[in-house]
Amino acid sequence: MGGKCPHRSVKKRRYSHKTARRTKFLHKGDDMVYDELKMPDEEKKPLPLDEDLPGMGQYYCLHCDRYFSNVAVRDEHFRTKRHKKIVKRMMGPAPHTQLDAELAAGMGMPDNGPKLMSM
Amino acid sequence: MRLEKCWFCSSTVYPGHGIQFVRNDAKIFRFCRSKCHKNFKMKRNPRKVKWTKAYRRLHGKDMTQDSTFEFERKRNRPERYDRNLAEDVLKAIPKIDKIRVRREEKHHKNRMKGNKAKLLKEAARELEQGINLVKPPSVLQKDPSLTLPQIKVLVPQQQTEENRPMEE
Repeated sequence: MGGKCPHRSVKKRRYSHKTARRTKFLHKGDDMVYDELKMPDEEKKPLPLDEDLPGMGQYYCLHCDRYFSNVAVRDEHFRTKRHKKIVKRMMGPAPHTQLDAELAAGMGMPDNGPKLMSM
Repeated sequence: MRLEKCWFCSSTVYPGHGIQFVRNDAKIFRFCRSKCHKNFKMKRNPRKVKWTKAYRRLHGKDMTQDSTFEFERKRNRPERYDRNLAEDVLKAIPKIDKIRVRREEKHHKNRMKGNKAKLLKEAARELEQGINLVKPPSVLQKDPSLTLPQIKVLVPQQQTEENRPMEE
């Protein structure tokens, strides 16, 4: 990722890596993707039509959080090494969370008290 | 006031220290120092970084199952102030701490049990293989009284004494 990049010391020829930076900040975290994958199929909403996204936002890879312009491109993406790596990682244990960090620090499970209302 | 735990290394984050990152889904990530923050930004997994608590727990380096871990926990409900209770708690803290330290020492000792014999064995092998670095074979051939016979006698006895020729 990143693309063409002249040497940083040459002030005139610097590129702003807008695409690279955008993907960095808009990228979903590991745990968000994991939660979405764990969701049962009934809860998943159909992809909304969005004309700003490639292919009206209809061809989406859940693992990599990427949109594609058509089915062929998406299937091509499914064959890439990067995608397969992420799929493999998502099959494993759940990503690290704040609760894991607290348990590792020697704390017990959080105490939320008794349920006030029985629903 | 709450003493939070660092997301990455699980150490305590005291007020006024560290940095906090709130993701756009309102999830909070706290970091105790820039080291942890940078490691997070590099998308490293704390379970795979050796110096974090998560790694040490997962790989049996630290004690995991213990009753002393049940005291410190996040309590999401207000507690009515009780002077007697507060006094008791303050009295109990050093006691519990002492017990935990003792148990952790025991765990460490248990973990390091077979280490000494292994180290001695490795040292003996290194000495045997690298004896030529101390005394070239030609010297040994000329004057066998230098070190070789000494070792031959010492091997069946105590292995610690084998280190002597290296010190020369």
